[in-house]
Amino acid sequence: MMEDLLTANNMLADAPAERLSARDFHSGVVPIWCPGCGDYGVLSALEDALAMHGRPPHEVVLVSGIGCSSRLPAYTSCYGFHGVHGRALPFAAGVKLARPDLDVIAVGGDGDGYSIGGNHFMHACRRDLDMVYLVMDNRVYGMTKGQPSPTTESDWNSNIAPGGVGLRPFDPLTLAIAAGATFVARGFSAQPHDLTKLIVEAIRWPGFAFIEVLSPCVAFRREEFDWKASVHPVKQSIEDDRAAAHAAILADDGFGLGVVFRDHRTLKPAPEPKRASLAEIESEFMIDA
Amino acid sequence: MGRSSLAIAITGSGGAGAMTAGELLLRAAATAGYYGSMNRLFGPQVRGGESAALLQISNRPIACQPDTFDLFVALDWQKVDQFAAEIPLTESSIILADPQSGPVPQSVAKSKAEVVSFKMGDPEATLLERALHGKHTNVFAAGAVGKLVGIGPTNLRAALSAVLGSKAADVRRTNAASLEKGIAAAESLALDLELAPPRPAQRWLLTGNQAIAIGSLRGGIRFVACYPITPATDLVEWLAPRLQQLGGKLVLAEDELAAINMVLGASFGGVPAMTVTSGPGLSLMVEAIGLGVAAEVPAVIVDVMRGGPSTGIPSKTEQSDVNLAIYGGHGDAPRIVLAPTSVRDCLFTGEWAVYLAESLQTPVIVLSDQALGQALQVVDPKPNRPLPLARRTELPSGKFRRYAIDSDPVTAMPRPGTPHGQWIGEGLTHNEFGIPVSGAAAHAAQLDKRARKLAQFDPGSLWGDVWGDGDTAILTFGSGIGAAQEAACALGAAGAPTRVIGLRVLSPLPLRELAGALEGARRIIVMEQNKGAQLYHQLLAHKAIPQTADSMARPGPLPFRPAEIAARLAALG
Repeated sequence: MMEDLLTANNMLADAPAERLSARDFHSGVVPIWCPGCGDYGVLSALEDALAMHGRPPHEVVLVSGIGCSSRLPAYTSCYGFHGVHGRALPFAAGVKLARPDLDVIAVGGDGDGYSIGGNHFMHACRRDLDMVYLVMDNRVYGMTKGQPSPTTESDWNSNIAPGGVGLRPFDPLTLAIAAGATFVARGFSAQPHDLTKLIVEAIRWPGFAFIEVLSPCVAFRREEFDWKASVHPVKQSIEDDRAAAHAAILADDGFGLGVVFRDHRTLKPAPEPKRASLAEIESEFMIDA
Repeated sequence: MGRSSLAIAITGSGGAGAMTAGELLLRAAATAGYYGSMNRLFGPQVRGGESAALLQISNRPIACQPDTFDLFVALDWQKVDQFAAEIPLTESSIILADPQSGPVPQSVAKSKAEVVSFKMGDPEATLLERALHGKHTNVFAAGAVGKLVGIGPTNLRAALSAVLGSKAADVRRTNAASLEKGIAAAESLALDLELAPPRPAQRWLLTGNQAIAIGSLRGGIRFVACYPITPATDLVEWLAPRLQQLGGKLVLAEDELAAINMVLGASFGGVPAMTVTSGPGLSLMVEAIGLGVAAEVPAVIVDVMRGGPSTGIPSKTEQSDVNLAIYGGHGDAPRIVLAPTSVRDCLFTGEWAVYLAESLQTPVIVLSDQALGQALQVVDPKPNRPLPLARRTELPSGKFRRYAIDSDPVTAMPRPGTPHGQWIGEGLTHNEFGIPVSGAAAHAAQLDKRARKLAQFDPGSLWGDVWGDGDTAILTFGSGIGAAQEAACALGAAGAPTRVIGLRVLSPLPLRELAGALEGARRIIVMEQNKGAQLYHQLLAHKAIPQTADSMARPGPLPFRPAEIAARLAALG
């Protein structure tokens, strides 16, 4: 019944586990992405990770906003939602709060997540729902053809900002740590095997797991293909110590790959209220004349 | 014999407790078997601001604010000027004031109402005691007024206890003492304010906001995401713990953009979901409402309207979001817009909104207003409830097309977790499978599919209500309806029979039903509380009313009063 949709909603059948392959997560829809786009690597790593994780496609919901990378949900065979620009995280939070029995993954780009959706990013970190947020960061607005995003270098030349925007790019990882995220990682689209492992760990992490994925833009930022030479494993993964995590990420050159921070400490949950029926609730308005 | 009704205003500065006194009296009157209503007037301050409780106690249901107040109780005179325009008095009104508060300010005295000097406190009390217990003046005054009206001390005592709730024992004791002293002090007043005996029955005491909340729970809402905004916050504050008790969830979002998107997410997940806001919040939500229309996701959006535009008058009423509710957003995004016809009807319309959203897979906006939402009223709960309607979730046979165009425009919407039911909710123009396309044919086909859903929506007799059959028709909605009914009563008694048409469905306009309701009307007046005559123009655009129809539109926050309406009709000739 509707009454118990949320708490007892085990709508999922107890089907015997069967081995899944990446193909099972493929929708067959041809991506609109440019040949060579980093997002292909992320899609393939995600499909591998979902297969490895082992829940069937109908038990996974992929949510996105607007931008090249936000086209991803339709390329998988999962349930999906392609909403408005910048709002993937609140939509995904709504799905997860209503249906804790599903695996929920929000995906998108740097403009969607860090600019128009920046406020939601901070609050999703705080809210710490059991979901994954995968940002394909190419440091440019690709779909609108090459404008600087919040992570673009200050001197990157573009039509809309000749000579560069002259603003410091912000660091999404420090922001996530400051906002209270409990799982913070960086991956690289050209290393899909490592990215797959990161995504599996993120799905299985019991809270909000954020992965910033360096994903080069072949159309407007060809120089990003040089990232191959720059990336390296993070020096260390910090456990629980938020100050140390800040220090480590500030000392990093922006190309350290792997899990940067895990916070295993949990907050005390609010006490469960006593259940009541609607009739009991309505009775508070009755006047005994 | 006694009066059939009494209108009382209780005013005071911050901390004086005018609201507590008003609620105490209303609750006591309710348990004694009277009908009643209380509207709250606030200044802008969070604490310490002036406030006024506008109270009516009667032998019949209260439809609107009165033309004038019979009794004005001043707990003090500080800043009363702010409210004078909202508390009309006449020469036959009575002002009850403590001489210690000083002379009656000109803004109130100019009404020439009779001023009755009344010490609102223990006359034996020392200065120190008065300073310590001065704040119980309100309970003292309530006791005295209750006695004058004819409400028994048992009812007053029980009401005080209910109003104080879980306050500390010494607070309860001193307040109880003040109440008794007030009751006793009434003997010294030679005033005839006694009401005719009540006709007790099983009734409810609640606000319009609470009634919408209950309606939504009855309809099956189990997820709410919201952002605090006056005058809608009390609705969600009441709802939060009750939703939890029912196994649901209420989330305080980071802003209205998040709130509406969370609602769409929860609804996509299969749980009936709602957000509650006021004008500024609705302005922020319109992009996502368009998404709900395009992706066909059920959602209930309650807008408790306040003065606008921009920040406007947060704590006071207006009906100026009609255009925003019907048209807000880009593109062709038709949705259902409902308006409760009374505090009592908030229960019904709140429930119906959920059924319509779920069964038609579309956002439904409920346009309430502060005058309905924050009015605390004694009502006869409606015996009837709307017919339950549910979402189509069963997976059809064959290859599943979420947005199929060759069938019933309401297509199946399987809940995530359903094997083989996977679909993509899509805000881009899409094909039948939900895959983005940009061709003309698919665009037209999906716009047509959504238009057909609304075209086949038949509200039946629920489109609105008609009272009376005079050849003058006042067409209005929301909190305007009660005032129009009272005006029609007075006009009818004066030999000018007037009918009132109250719309419950503002969009899509129930054209056929409206035509029937207007049949035989020689003169039509569209009454609404906004400057731009938003509903009037909407009705004209759809040819729902003739060009000769008149508009009676004026902004808030002053409520429509029956005498104002009757005078305006007389002026129109």
